[in-house]
Amino acid sequence: MLLRNAVIGTLTITLLCSAMSSRAQDAGALLDLLVRKQIISDQEAEEVRAELTREAATTSAGKWKMSAPITELEIYGDARMRYEYRAGRTAGDTPTAAPGAGVAGVRDWQERERQRYRFRLGLRGVLLDDWFFGFRLETSTSPRSTNVTFADDSQVNGPYSKDSDRISVGQVYLGYRGFKDLTLTAGRMPQPLITTPMTWDNDINPEGLAQQWKHSFNFSLGGGAAEPSSGGYSKDGKSVAATPVLSEPFNLKLDLFANFAQLIYDDVAIENPLGGRPIANGRTVPQNDAFLLAWQVGARLTFPHNIYIQIAPTLYNYTGNGDSFNNHFIGGDETLTNSASLATNQTGINSLLIYNMPWEIGWKVGELPMRIFGDFAVNLEADDRAAAAGFPEKGDERYAYEVGLAIGQLKAKREWELRVFWQHTEQYSLDPNLVDSDLFDSRINMEGIGVKLGYMLSDAVFAELTYGYGWRADSSLGTGGIGDIGINPLDHYQIFQADLNVKF
Amino acid sequence: MKIKHILVIISIAFGLTEARADRLVIKGSDTLGAKLVPQLAEQFKAQHPGTTFDIAAEGSTTGIAAIIDGTADIGMSSRRAKSSEMSAASSKGKHMKPIIVAYDGLGVIVNASNPIKGLTKKQVEQIFTGEVNDWSAVGGSGGKISIYTRNTSSGTYSDWKELAMKKRDYAGGAQKMAGHEQIAAEVGKNRNGIGYVGLAYMKAGGIKIVPIEGQMPSQQAVIAKTWPYARPTFYYTNGEPAGLAKQFVDFTTGPEGQKIVNRVGFVPIRAMKE
Repeated sequence: MLLRNAVIGTLTITLLCSAMSSRAQDAGALLDLLVRKQIISDQEAEEVRAELTREAATTSAGKWKMSAPITELEIYGDARMRYEYRAGRTAGDTPTAAPGAGVAGVRDWQERERQRYRFRLGLRGVLLDDWFFGFRLETSTSPRSTNVTFADDSQVNGPYSKDSDRISVGQVYLGYRGFKDLTLTAGRMPQPLITTPMTWDNDINPEGLAQQWKHSFNFSLGGGAAEPSSGGYSKDGKSVAATPVLSEPFNLKLDLFANFAQLIYDDVAIENPLGGRPIANGRTVPQNDAFLLAWQVGARLTFPHNIYIQIAPTLYNYTGNGDSFNNHFIGGDETLTNSASLATNQTGINSLLIYNMPWEIGWKVGELPMRIFGDFAVNLEADDRAAAAGFPEKGDERYAYEVGLAIGQLKAKREWELRVFWQHTEQYSLDPNLVDSDLFDSRINMEGIGVKLGYMLSDAVFAELTYGYGWRADSSLGTGGIGDIGINPLDHYQIFQADLNVKF
Repeated sequence: MKIKHILVIISIAFGLTEARADRLVIKGSDTLGAKLVPQLAEQFKAQHPGTTFDIAAEGSTTGIAAIIDGTADIGMSSRRAKSSEMSAASSKGKHMKPIIVAYDGLGVIVNASNPIKGLTKKQVEQIFTGEVNDWSAVGGSGGKISIYTRNTSSGTYSDWKELAMKKRDYAGGAQKMAGHEQIAAEVGKNRNGIGYVGLAYMKAGGIKIVPIEGQMPSQQAVIAKTWPYARPTFYYTNGEPAGLAKQFVDFTTGPEGQKIVNRVGFVPIRAMKE
């Protein structure tokens, strides 16, 4: 009896101390075991269970209530404070003229300095029967930025106005992982494709459908002996327990993946209007939705000692017109005044059939991870796009590429990373609505360098410095795309950002 | 004159208190309160003349709420108190004490004319969640499945979700009944009906018990812990029971009470200990 009382008392105290934040029912298996072993009775187990439930209900965690179908829930997010300087220079080889106010002169710099912040708060969960969902709230309404500029709205309601400090739904999606190796997602989702900022700004959350398949193969090519493995891979992509190795074997891991996306690019309000179709600029305005379709297949081959190679060839195709992007892309004109050049169409998605191939090779020097990375893209319909823009002789302006080197990583406290890269994009190579909004100011027909240096102040906080300098790639064309600098062609461009990030 | 009035008032109050001391208010679970507790009460009254019972069997939730509100001496429950109920009790200075009084096994019942020979646990889950809504999908002769469940204040309602449905929601068209006997009666009248009842309610007319994974529900299966839908049933009191409530709890869990538990169709707690 003394022993039993000691067991019950110890059990109660231990569970109360160790599992306050978890549900009392979690102790059910242990209590059941003790009952089965006849160390305690059912009644005693029930009293301990009730005590745990009572105590757990008073903790912060115990006050949260989750609906029964949720099996896993994660709150995550980040906040960032940023100082930014960006500047662009007009073209011209003659000495700078003295322009009138607001009129671009030659070699005239436009500069912007901003203090900005961003905040993102997300919730993602796993439901019963392999379903999952997620949503994320974000500052800013821009698709390519979550930044809000401090005091940019003072003119509205006075200093410290909150007009631009708005929260938008950045992501909302649901999906299914019930089929082996396959993830199906619908909604406004995290990027389902492997991309680089050359083709897709990191802040974009595409809308539509995505299907992601991934399967891993493990090959042992001798050179060591290992315990028998219990299986190849985990369905959710998480690593499985390592197999005990008796001596170092030469193992290869091959991950094959295929990502497909059917993204809604632009929805027309009315597909079939009353009466005749509207006419603009002398032509009938198309009345169908625009879609961006993507097919990506790729592989990642991992050698021993953390050496890996990854390629992800992708084909992007645009169908339909929408009601916002149905004018032909021009992207500025060297021969026009700055304001007239800016007023030409910068967003058209006509004649874009893009083959894209991001790639990456990684290795370690000692404990220091390093990688070279890059991206290559070619628009297979650049001739048509150039002709429609009024530059039929510029159909060869169809390529974009990026190549860079990264040393280090930003995962844990005191880790650092340095990234240096070169990027070149031609005027008819890419969709100017999707490219990165910081480096080269959302423009194409630009080339230049980018440097990023980051340092982890703690596991959750890191500082980052970014610098980029770019030039117009083809000096006889405009620099297509809409950015923050009101210049087209953007002859020279530079950006500096100093960030302090908190992630949780 | 004043003193006389005061004495009268005191004597009336004392008399009421005395009368109340012989009255036991028990509220809660229909599983326990429809058959078992009334029979226990009858036997107890025979041994304690003058004792009266006020028994209301309207669902486990009402029993636990009655202990929290202080409107019952004993709360009957076929489920464990939820953390929100524990929290509510604590905030009112109540200490919910669970006392296991019997074990029960829930079984799936269908109309006696239903040709179905058995179901798997997965099929049971699919039927009650509405994933499967025609008998032909589970080996029956066809026809839209009519689901009968307990109502939402019932402990059995939530126990069934936990034991048989992976905590998923019931099918939208499920009809909610006030008690086990009503479920059995409705299933007995409806050839496409399906429901669940406790061991004590499986002998109703017009129904048949469905084997699950080839096994029939029985006291032996519950004792052997091989029945997937077994559960303890409880009295809840505010702290350690005292007075008449303690006497009735002791009677229920004692040899005489457990004999009645067995006779009514539940599994005695002593059987589980053996």
